[in-house]
Amino acid sequence: MIQKSIMCPNCKNKFTVEGNPGEKVRITCPKCDTSGYFYFPKEKPTSKTEVTVIETKNLSKFYGKIKGIENLTLSVKKGEIFGFLGPNGAGKTTTIRTLLGYLIPTSGEALILGKNIKDNIVNIKRNVGYIPGDLNLYGHLTGKQFLDYFASLRNTEMTLLDELLKVFDVPLDRRIKGYSKGMKQKLGIIQAFMDDPEIVIMDEPTSGLDPLLQQKFYDFLLDQKKKDKTMFFSSHVLSEVDKICDRIGIIRNGNLVALEDVETLKSKMGKIIKVKIKEPPELFKGPKNMKIKGEWIEFVTNEDIDYWIKLLAKYTIVDLDINEFSLEDIFIHYYEGQT
Amino acid sequence: MNDIFRFKIAIQTMKNHWKTTIIVTLLFMVMAVMYAGMFPSFEESIIDMMDSNFYESFNFFPHADQMHTYVGFLTLELYNIFWLLILAIMIGFIAASSISKEIEGKTIDILMSNPVSRKQIVIEKFVGLIPMFLVINFATMMALIGITTAINESLNYGNLFIVHILSIPYFLTVFSLGILISVIIDEKMKASIILISILVGMFVLNSISLLSPDYEFIGFFSFLHYFDTYMILQSGEVDVVGIFVFIILTILFQVVAMIYFERRDIAIS
Repeated sequence: MIQKSIMCPNCKNKFTVEGNPGEKVRITCPKCDTSGYFYFPKEKPTSKTEVTVIETKNLSKFYGKIKGIENLTLSVKKGEIFGFLGPNGAGKTTTIRTLLGYLIPTSGEALILGKNIKDNIVNIKRNVGYIPGDLNLYGHLTGKQFLDYFASLRNTEMTLLDELLKVFDVPLDRRIKGYSKGMKQKLGIIQAFMDDPEIVIMDEPTSGLDPLLQQKFYDFLLDQKKKDKTMFFSSHVLSEVDKICDRIGIIRNGNLVALEDVETLKSKMGKIIKVKIKEPPELFKGPKNMKIKGEWIEFVTNEDIDYWIKLLAKYTIVDLDINEFSLEDIFIHYYEGQT
Repeated sequence: MNDIFRFKIAIQTMKNHWKTTIIVTLLFMVMAVMYAGMFPSFEESIIDMMDSNFYESFNFFPHADQMHTYVGFLTLELYNIFWLLILAIMIGFIAASSISKEIEGKTIDILMSNPVSRKQIVIEKFVGLIPMFLVINFATMMALIGITTAINESLNYGNLFIVHILSIPYFLTVFSLGILISVIIDEKMKASIILISILVGMFVLNSISLLSPDYEFIGFFSFLHYFDTYMILQSGEVDVVGIFVFIILTILFQVVAMIYFERRDIAIS
């Protein structure tokens, strides 16, 4: 039984009705006696039970004494696009290559689709596609020969192949040797998705794609997401992550420094207030993080916007700008003081 | 598990080498015809020179004292150098670069994104090279039969067949060693050079061991010691121990290669 507060269309009287989802109830306004039917909305399919499809527990990889990644613990849920952020050399590729069994973890463990990568990696790969960061394909094969070869290795139906070839057209009869970087990247995308795997792990997949193709690629990823497929996406291009990712992990020097919903992360960070006042900016006593840039006063505030606005009201405001943190700002925030 | 027996990587390896197979096959057929065909014109002058001083100076070749006979000539000119050394180098080079090439060229990443195990890659790369050798092996044998008939020399073709059958375990050992090096060394040139050095080294060891009975033990470290083409061609005498040595070494190198490849990191530079 659910309650719904409704308003009578005739006398604007507000009252509540009770009923079950999907039920049609005859109601009469207690005030003006107008009657009609109310349809209780059908229950939305219960928000999908969150299934973790990729999970790492304290995953570490050292190359001898050199740290690749350290104590990485993260999980990716079914149906989400997870953005894995970090500058070059932060450990993104090491994480991906350890997850996929190319590198043997120094310690910790990882599960993909509930299976431990240690002893199930071949089986895992039946349901996981991968686009390597430094993509190298067999130059002596034609695009078609390459895809045929890989289809034979997967030994399953290539359900998405035709669709992919329409979106990312490549000269199938030409040898890959003669492909441009973008064409190779497209072929890399095609092979990863062609058998419609549950998870696709991508290491900077948009490098080499022109903006138009990038857009096509994002659209394709979002379509896959609708089909409840999971995508793990490493990048250092923040705008694309902002555009398509549900959650992000930020990695710095091999350690995970943030793991959050993109929107939550942004709201947590607070707002950036930029203000120009007629009086000398030094007169304004802002929070500790206040910076004066020329005529502009700049500071970040989280919950006490009201307080600062009221304080600012005592000055003559020339210009005011309140902005949400962009992913760029967040990223820089996590990397401040780092080289 | 049944994916392993579909041998798709092996088939691709075979396809990748079809041109090389044809070229090397033709090369060795020509070589066989040329050397065997030379024998009649050399025969008399060799017999004239055939005193102990002369052939002792060739002592580091197996059965140099028989070089005036057709079988001895074939052993010395064709089998010892071109077959057991040069051909081993050529196809060993391919084996040694088979996996190192994929690691160096970074195609290993995309290959291993498929549901294939590392063991499977090692086995299939090995299996994929065998057809190439079989073609070269039996085409060369046929060329030799052709030229021998044409120049009217006598040769026991049954024994010749045994030589080429027993060439299989010898070359499988070379392949297997090549693949072992290939999973350890990431640069294909380096891997191939190491294999070639080993093969040439073993050739030298065998040659030294022939010089004097004192050095005979050195020969045990050479593959060539276990495969005497002269004895087979001449009398059909087969070194059974040698066959086992090759089979055991082939299996050993493969197993070590699989274990090593399974445990190593595949890093990209």
